[in-house]
Amino acid sequence: MKTTILGLTMGLLLIASGNIYSAEAKPDTSGKILPYPIYQHKLANGLNVVTVPFDSPGLASLHIVTRVGARNEVEPGVTGFAHFFEHMMFRGTDKYSKEEYSAALKSTGAAANANTTQDRTDYHMTGNSDKLELMFELESDRFMNLKYSEHEFKTEAGAVKGEYTKNFASPYSQINEKRAETAFTKHTYSHTTMGYFKDIVDMPNQYEYSKQFFDRYYRPEYNTVLVVGDVTPEQVNALAEKYFGQWQHGSYESKVPVEPEQTETRYVHLQNDTIPAYVSLSYKGPAFSDTQIDMPTLDVLSAMMFTSTSDLYKKLVITEQKVRSISGGASDSRDPGLFTIQVSMVEKEDIPYVMSEIEKAIEKVKTEGVDATLLARTKSNLKYGFAMGIDNPAAIANSLSHYIQLTGDPESINRTYAMYDKVTVEDIKMIANKYFKPEHLTIATISDDELGVMQ
Amino acid sequence: MKNLIKQLGFLLVLFFVSQVQAASVQDMDVIELKQSNSNKVVFKIRFQNGSIADPAEKQGLTYATASLMAQGGAGGKSYPEIQDIMQPWAAFYYVNVDKQVTTFTFQVPVDFVDEFYPLLKNVLLAPNFDESDFSRIMKSQQNYVDQVVRASSDEDYSKYALEDLLFRGGNMQHLVQGTSASVKSITLDDIKAHYQHAFSRYNVTLGLAGNYSDELLNRLKADLKGLSNNDFTPPVPSKARLADGIEVEIISKENAFGSAIFTGAPLGITRSDDEFAALMIANSWMGEHRKAYSRLYQKIRQTRSMNYGDYTYIEWYSAGGRNQLPPSGVPRASNYWSIWIRPVQIASQLHDQYPELADISIGHAHFALRLAIREFDQLIKNGMSEEDFSATRTFLRSYTKLYAQGPEQLMGWLMDSHFYGRVNYLSELDKLLANTTLEQVNDAIRKHYQTENMFVTIVTDDSEAKPLADSLINNTPSPMSYSNLVKSGLPEEVLAEDDEIANYHLNVKKVTVVNSADTFK
Repeated sequence: MKTTILGLTMGLLLIASGNIYSAEAKPDTSGKILPYPIYQHKLANGLNVVTVPFDSPGLASLHIVTRVGARNEVEPGVTGFAHFFEHMMFRGTDKYSKEEYSAALKSTGAAANANTTQDRTDYHMTGNSDKLELMFELESDRFMNLKYSEHEFKTEAGAVKGEYTKNFASPYSQINEKRAETAFTKHTYSHTTMGYFKDIVDMPNQYEYSKQFFDRYYRPEYNTVLVVGDVTPEQVNALAEKYFGQWQHGSYESKVPVEPEQTETRYVHLQNDTIPAYVSLSYKGPAFSDTQIDMPTLDVLSAMMFTSTSDLYKKLVITEQKVRSISGGASDSRDPGLFTIQVSMVEKEDIPYVMSEIEKAIEKVKTEGVDATLLARTKSNLKYGFAMGIDNPAAIANSLSHYIQLTGDPESINRTYAMYDKVTVEDIKMIANKYFKPEHLTIATISDDELGVMQ
Repeated sequence: MKNLIKQLGFLLVLFFVSQVQAASVQDMDVIELKQSNSNKVVFKIRFQNGSIADPAEKQGLTYATASLMAQGGAGGKSYPEIQDIMQPWAAFYYVNVDKQVTTFTFQVPVDFVDEFYPLLKNVLLAPNFDESDFSRIMKSQQNYVDQVVRASSDEDYSKYALEDLLFRGGNMQHLVQGTSASVKSITLDDIKAHYQHAFSRYNVTLGLAGNYSDELLNRLKADLKGLSNNDFTPPVPSKARLADGIEVEIISKENAFGSAIFTGAPLGITRSDDEFAALMIANSWMGEHRKAYSRLYQKIRQTRSMNYGDYTYIEWYSAGGRNQLPPSGVPRASNYWSIWIRPVQIASQLHDQYPELADISIGHAHFALRLAIREFDQLIKNGMSEEDFSATRTFLRSYTKLYAQGPEQLMGWLMDSHFYGRVNYLSELDKLLANTTLEQVNDAIRKHYQTENMFVTIVTDDSEAKPLADSLINNTPSPMSYSNLVKSGLPEEVLAEDDEIANYHLNVKKVTVVNSADTFK
């Protein structure tokens, strides 16, 4: 059965391949999860240009992945700045005022936006491939020549405060903030992408710092241009040379503090009676790597232990009905992040019991490993799940952008899925022992009690 | 320009639609979208029932029934057994319930469609309706109406609260999930009976997309005849009420961080009407969803730094906080237009942040509402300019084609098209937009927009509720309270406009303050 499943996986991927016409040497796609060739071209200034042709007549997605996020906010008082800067990037240049930029963007008829995470900001637009040159012109102009007044800067800070305000309505946002600052004491993952509220309120006073921020990071070496859709690599590379060729390489490197090893379990609690009781267990995890087995193994393990086919789910959610939902997994991040298991409870009184059941399940994996057939089924699930999801340029570009932020290399997507295939029962046992250590754990709870049930 | 439209025309004609067929086979509506190069098959099975088909006192029953079908056992297999079988294929299914339709979506790699099909058939034709699944699913639904709807997003909360006001007394009023009292009353027998009553072969639409065979389609058509024989007639949705003046409901909540505002009034047209395209142009210019180039966004967010965004709608837009493009699956024949003002600052927060604002009694909600309504009044009075009309129409003719970028989405839009009596709405819309004139847009604006009679809901902090209510009912001037940081750089014309907005008369006739705990009872 195992052989049949994997054999069929390859068949499925082949069916999905489109016709690619390009004069460039076609990169080999055999055995890769992404059935489309990834063309890469590095400009002299260090900007990486990635093209993935896809059979979508008239449609293309353009992403610019800026590998700067909350992680880079090393100075005190400026948390949330990478995200704030994402906002500022829509505020115009000498060539296009913000009104002219808006009008030009509207004229592309594209779906355009941006978002920021711990490790990057992703600027993206999906629209008519016939408008690609205009998209390149607009993007290169703001990435190279962004210019805004101090008043514009102060005004945009209010929008960030508005964003925080709407997010803060959710108790889950509040516990995320508390968990981050409890689990990390030195590393910048101690604050969320939004930043601390006091820093957001102070943002209007940081105009000079904002110019420094742009000068540091909006440089070719921090960015990757990615185009997926009805395009050729020759066309994309020529546009990149024309519009980004003059971009000057920078020299700044942020020194992100290293998180010291955690030595005991930490606790954090939010008193809130408006949502069901909640508990999360966050273990210190590895940094993302597509060459080390750690993160791929944790991905496979989480798909076995904390999804709707897992024993824990069947017992706690289906049979005993003590838990409303359970999920778990490691966040892909450039520096060591967290492997978090989250549980929404039916009754808060059951939190200790549910925690002990999770710990028992983890112990079992540490000592006995996992069922080999289930492992094969899980790997099959990961592959087919990916293959079904990539049915349009925007979906493919989003997947590639995720891996570009982590390593700078879109081929990481193929290497990661190849690593999934290599994960063994022994790897899972070894990795569970390596990462699921009580002294590396942060427990977060929400309930109507003043103190968390575990404290 | 011509090229832009022509190019994206290909998007629909070539990329997605290898073969679209729509046919009513005897008693069943069938929509096909065959794509022989696809690696999967997408099934969408839609029942025209929705929450308006809930019996009185059993609100939430359609949602409970559909949830038990999609998240319970079927064909004698338990839910976990079904999940285990599908796991290596990565096949999945889910259900979405809205006011007028319930849509089941199934996706499976083409390699496994034959093995998957019996599972699909069982979900639709042979749900187990186990006591244990029932208990689990109802706990979750009860929790949603008791807690989650109030606690997870003040913005969504204000939208559901507005529907509760607009449709009060009608079958469109209640949450799809029901109310605290009604969900408690739902029994497993109710669900079994409702399944036979409202999930019938006579109100089902079958959609099949991707790489499927004719044999599979015929099998599905034949099998779905095994659904209930009840000659179910979907109820007529209740109409939105016209407010008497501006009627405001303020929902007072502990520890709210801002004021989330939603306001709307009845709209007599839907996608069924050709005139909808004209109003779409006006709506897009005033407040296209999540777009920085719309009027309200520029006035409230970009110029005045008041919140995260401000948008307008001429139909229900599901999960607007998450979705960048409008999702399918929420077609409605009973319509209203609306303004969404994302949370603005409240007085207690501003007091803490800026010493210069220590004396203000209310935050920005009254000013924001005045500003938005004044903009609509000006649009009604002046109409759109030729330049704005042309740029917005061009934008929409390209942008609307991005709504459906994969087989699942396109099938969803095709099904919605049928709901509105159309074949392929996105394609028809392009022709309608192409033929729309500025005069038609300005006629539609005058005909369908008015701001004298509107319902408004504001979810806000308990410290803000009473002062805001007093300010609204008394039409008290509400000068914009900027921090000095922002105020010092504002151009004169903005400050002058602020004075006009602060004193702009709204036809407020009624303001009520309700405790959050008393909503959706």
